[in-house]
Amino acid sequence: MVEKLSFERTWRGLEKALGIAHRRHSLIAENIGHLDTPRYKPREVDFQEALNDAMAGGARVSMTRTDTKHLGPVPEGLAGAEVKEEEEEWNGFNWVNIDREMTKLVENDLIYRTASEILIRKIAFLKEIIREGGR
Amino acid sequence: MGIFRSFEISTSGLHVQRKRMDVISSNLANMETTRTENGTPYRRKMIVLGAESMENFDSLFHLKLQAAKIENVVEDQSPFVRVHDPGHPDADEDGYVLKPNVDLVVEMTNMLMARRVFEANVTAMETTRQMALKALEIGR
Repeated sequence: MVEKLSFERTWRGLEKALGIAHRRHSLIAENIGHLDTPRYKPREVDFQEALNDAMAGGARVSMTRTDTKHLGPVPEGLAGAEVKEEEEEWNGFNWVNIDREMTKLVENDLIYRTASEILIRKIAFLKEIIREGGR
Repeated sequence: MGIFRSFEISTSGLHVQRKRMDVISSNLANMETTRTENGTPYRRKMIVLGAESMENFDSLFHLKLQAAKIENVVEDQSPFVRVHDPGHPDADEDGYVLKPNVDLVVEMTNMLMARRVFEANVTAMETTRQMALKALEIGR
């Protein structure tokens, strides 16, 4: 039913965004945790890229194939957040840049809060429909 | 994303000031160093800052945002301090020793500046964050 309300795409987008932000947060925490680890290479997930991948991967619009040999849409399972090594400069000990990590932490926090805020409003919207619709 | 642009710029400020502290630490640690690898006393190091244009910034704004970056680390070419100390192993025939051209007062002032600028960048970032959080409350 929720899907029929054309909520689906936004819903799924927010779900993915929260998921990626969560994953990204763990990675940032990991990088900060390894501040004192010699020769540690920080890792990251590009939020925008990951979200694009996640959204493109699970497109629910079905494609009509005129030939069985044509390539179909990317199956959802294949599109995941790609973890890459961060491009940071060597600081003489490892590759962790604490200023950069802290900034990313704040940035990611904002993304997470924004996504959850929209989700909360979306749910409030649905509740409103349920409450008022029966009258 | 738009709002994160200011974060990026503030980060460059933080990074630059941190590097500046590295140089100041080096100068302070070597205030009395009379022998370096090239035979001269320690020369005071300074960082030269430059501005780096932010890529793909919306040209509609007609202003170019620039992030701070370190151009180079150079040596202060001012003369070494000559101190009379005949007992020093590096003293010349007249009993004078060349000491590094590091001035404690200058270094302390720079340190204070580095600290304050760092704090200012943190404050700028925190303000941006608060603004974004406030924006989330619109229409609640």
